[in-house]
Amino acid sequence: MTVLLGDPVLAELRQILGPEHVLTGRADRLNRTRVPAPFPVHRWAERMPDLVVLPASTEEVAEVLRLADSLRIPVVPRDGGTGLTDGAVPLRGGIVVDVKRINQIKEIDLDNRTCTVGTGINALKLNEVLGRHGLIYPDDPASYPCSLVGGRIGTSGWSLIGSRYGHTRDLVLSFDHVLPGGRVIHVGDGIGRKITKSSSGYQLKHLFMGHQGTLGIASEATLKLFPKPEAEFSPFWAFEDYDSAYRAVGALARAGVATFAGAVLFDEWKVDYLRRDDEAYIPQPSSVKALVCAALYGYEDEVRAGGRRLLRIARSLGARYLGDEISEGDWAARHDRYATPLHGRTRSGQVVPMSWHCEDASINYTNLPAVRLAWHEIADRLRRESDVFDDWGMFAYTNGATGADYLTEIDIGIWEQRLDDAAWEAWVRAKRDLAAVTLAHGGSISACHGSCRAGEVDLVPEELGGGYDVMLAIKRAIDPNNIMNPGKYLLDQAYAEKS
Amino acid sequence: MKYRYQDEMSPPPARRVTDVAITRFEHVFEVEPALMTDHVTQQDFPNWDTLRLVRSRADHLAWMHRHFADKVLSGEELLHDLDE
Amino acid sequence: MPDPEKRPETTPEKRFAEEWRNAAYNCFSSGHKFCREVCPVTQVTRNESWSPTAFHANVVAMEQGELEIADVAADYVNCTGCGACELRCPNSLFTGDFYRFRTRTVDLVKAVRGLAVRQGVHQPAWQRWNLLTDERGHEPVLNGTPVDQARVRDWAAGLDLPIGGETILFVDCEAAFHRTSVPRAVARILNLAGYKFGLMHEQWCCGGPAAEMGYEEQARRFARHNLDDWRAGGVRRVLVLDPHDYVTFTEDYPAYFGDAYDIEIVLVVELLAELIREGRLTPHVPVERTVTYHDPCRLNKRKGVWREPREILRAIPGLTFHDVDRVTQWSYCSGAGGGLPVEKPELTARISEQRVGKAAELGVDTLVSACPWSERPLSEAGRARSIDVVDLHELLAESLGVAP
Ligand SMILES: Cc1cc2nc3c(=O)[nH]c(=O)nc-3n(C[C@H](O)[C@H](O)[C@H](O)COP(=O)(O)OP(=O)(O)OC[C@H]3O[C@@H](n4cnc5c(N)ncnc54)[C@H](O)[C@@H]3O)c2cc1C
Ligand code: SF4
Ligand code: SF4
Repeated sequence: MTVLLGDPVLAELRQILGPEHVLTGRADRLNRTRVPAPFPVHRWAERMPDLVVLPASTEEVAEVLRLADSLRIPVVPRDGGTGLTDGAVPLRGGIVVDVKRINQIKEIDLDNRTCTVGTGINALKLNEVLGRHGLIYPDDPASYPCSLVGGRIGTSGWSLIGSRYGHTRDLVLSFDHVLPGGRVIHVGDGIGRKITKSSSGYQLKHLFMGHQGTLGIASEATLKLFPKPEAEFSPFWAFEDYDSAYRAVGALARAGVATFAGAVLFDEWKVDYLRRDDEAYIPQPSSVKALVCAALYGYEDEVRAGGRRLLRIARSLGARYLGDEISEGDWAARHDRYATPLHGRTRSGQVVPMSWHCEDASINYTNLPAVRLAWHEIADRLRRESDVFDDWGMFAYTNGATGADYLTEIDIGIWEQRLDDAAWEAWVRAKRDLAAVTLAHGGSISACHGSCRAGEVDLVPEELGGGYDVMLAIKRAIDPNNIMNPGKYLLDQAYAEKS
Repeated sequence: MKYRYQDEMSPPPARRVTDVAITRFEHVFEVEPALMTDHVTQQDFPNWDTLRLVRSRADHLAWMHRHFADKVLSGEELLHDLDE
Repeated sequence: MPDPEKRPETTPEKRFAEEWRNAAYNCFSSGHKFCREVCPVTQVTRNESWSPTAFHANVVAMEQGELEIADVAADYVNCTGCGACELRCPNSLFTGDFYRFRTRTVDLVKAVRGLAVRQGVHQPAWQRWNLLTDERGHEPVLNGTPVDQARVRDWAAGLDLPIGGETILFVDCEAAFHRTSVPRAVARILNLAGYKFGLMHEQWCCGGPAAEMGYEEQARRFARHNLDDWRAGGVRRVLVLDPHDYVTFTEDYPAYFGDAYDIEIVLVVELLAELIREGRLTPHVPVERTVTYHDPCRLNKRKGVWREPREILRAIPGLTFHDVDRVTQWSYCSGAGGGLPVEKPELTARISEQRVGKAAELGVDTLVSACPWSERPLSEAGRARSIDVVDLHELLAESLGVAP
């Protein structure tokens, strides 16, 4: 239920934060419900918070949570607002705690190769500063220019070059975390701020990452830094059929090249989609049906040696190198070509602005072909049902250096302006079906975004099994009053027997 | 870059590239205009704006490479090494 | 399907949304905020209500009947019109030219401000500013001292510039009344190169600032006056030293006058670079300064002009030039545009402090700009850090050895 906020609460919040950092305007609140994932526009106002606060420090966050907890007011943490599983969307009104003002660089420790930052900072902006020291923080999602460190922690995000440098969970060493009651704890490996490996006690860092704001708020984080790479190599190859591309990507990922930062497989639906408006693929011959790319980072001599090895492997498997211009341009454009509304086409081919939905399971290499076919079938069913859906094709990206599993992504365009209740129902059903395919193939429902969006979330208890019961018990223990992002991950069940 | 309205509003003639794309400026593709008639219609687009975006895109991509690494290796060169 | 019986009455907001729907949805349907970290206002305030994304989303909210203009008019003050967001937006940078459809945050912000004014929702300082501009024909840039039509050419005292002719130099209000050394430098340089030009018969404000603050009718009236004056005097070519005017003459005037707009517009920085290239100007007096260059937003981001100013700087002997590339500078701004310093000077000051801070990190003693409007707030911020803010045209004049 929405908690109606009386003036005393407002007065107290203004006291804590300063009046200009407590926002109650309708536009302020509407804009804190929006995330990129499509949702029926006519239902926008259903997800409005009652107010928004913009704290500037851990202490302010703690005071807000203390107050909210004592009054049982729902709290939703928000950082970049780029999350794709509706994590930052308030379902029960309450207070949005928008942490973007906590974005200072507190320390750059050149000797231990770490830095400590407020969680409202963006990695690209951070790297502009670190670059001057020859260092880099290599958490590189496609949302690199817009996602923020707090949201990376809240989602336990996935990085395009994670096969070389690890993902958010590996790169965030520790952080200050405000518990629902307002208590501040420091979580990392053990208690250390800059410790990268500890066996002391339970390993809490993972628990307090990827919880989508249901267990509290991270306010300041210590990050692991690497030398800024001397050289980059990002070959793109074309194939005449999916199966050869699939074989090639597997071989590249399993090659064990130390500078290997990731490989990506594009299927024929994706190639068709690129032919709509991507300058590199419009002129490609129609025989091009699938693509593979790889990325390598490191010292020049290492990257040269690794690059030659990968080129040799690809060539032996029938790959055609697409040339330096496409290879360099496409890799540098890796953040920019996702949410392009005008990619949308009606069945008759007219351009319409569509929102981008990205379904992102983790699937083992051996199951990629089967999942791909089943997913396209679901997307195809949607498009047959309604012109508001469009199949934008699939990618599979390596999750790690050994090629065991892949972030498997189907992109579906959704014409949000026409997303009526019936189409939304069809969509939620489809999301449930997509997730079911994942589980049937031994996969995990999400590799990076999280899985608390309508449809997919219904299958999370099935995915986690007994682990889901542990999740309920933890939620109840840490957040006894269910104030943190209530309604997410079906966690209300944790309180069922109490009410 | 001297600005003259008439010049800016007269793009070079279109040449078809595929069923869905045309080209007017060298190496620059555009959507087949017939696809943007029912729902979204094209904006007035002076030539300077097209060229500004094309050049900015190239500058942005070069920036992104520099941002992640000091240097980009050429696949063509490495492939050549393989043949030696 | 909406029931026609129950269809709510159409409101000005809904009519507005009708016009801007596709533009707004093209952002709303992405919502990915690649624009956030380049927006100068969002950078310093970190307030998502004052972000390019929100500026588009609010239009959709108006379409849905969720917002009225009075709810949001004040939010739209928080934009300098720098153009960073719309350039960085992948829907411009990657597909804008392909679809001939790009993100238009700047136009949208202006249009919403216009809607507010038409609905009688005014911002007090903007209303005063435009009233005074309307009364005097020029912007009230002298902090209380009234500007005066009779004095619009005072900056040119003693230069013997003709009135009228085929080519004239248009001088913006800030430069004509406050930064008078800038147009003087330009005039002397052009004279040195033997480049013939005159001044306008009766110059009024270009109208751009009124358009930016939402006073559209006034903006058009001023534009009409200037164009008529040019026509009456046989003007074919207008030289522009101020990036803001340059945008007004190449974007607003064409929108007002369409096919009838037959005046050639020339940006002075580009002209000067050309004159240096052709050997008609040779900077030779060494200028011993350690400088960096501030890319004025309206040149670098909105027009893609960044090479020529650097060409000029590199031609000046004695300078030590620490350049910051144009893409990095997409996220830089002086805070001086879009009427922000009129309505929210404190926010402008925070933005210029941030900009000058970036210069300070380079260890320079001088920040060179090429935009008169940026120079006032940047100088104020520069004083605190002992960084001089100098105009590019003036720096060139110094190196050409021409008198001030
Ligand atoms: C174009 C595009 C490409 C993307 N590509 C990728 C990708 O490659 N890899 C990937 O992992 N993701 C990707 N995403 C999804 C998204 O960017 C990530 O999920 C990102 O981690 C979200 O960060 P944010 O700062 O926007 O967080 P938000 O969306 O604001 O929040 C995300 C979640 O974290 C919670 N949260 C926010 N701040 C905190 C905090 N301080 N403490 C605790 N919880 C918090 C929120 O409540 C919410 O549940 C992409 C998104 C877009 C739009
Ligand atoms: S303006 Fe562009 S970058 Fe910003 S949110 Fe909208 S679509 Fe994304
Ligand atoms: S034009 Fe500049 S100030 Fe205005 S919203 Fe865009 S980036 Fe921000």
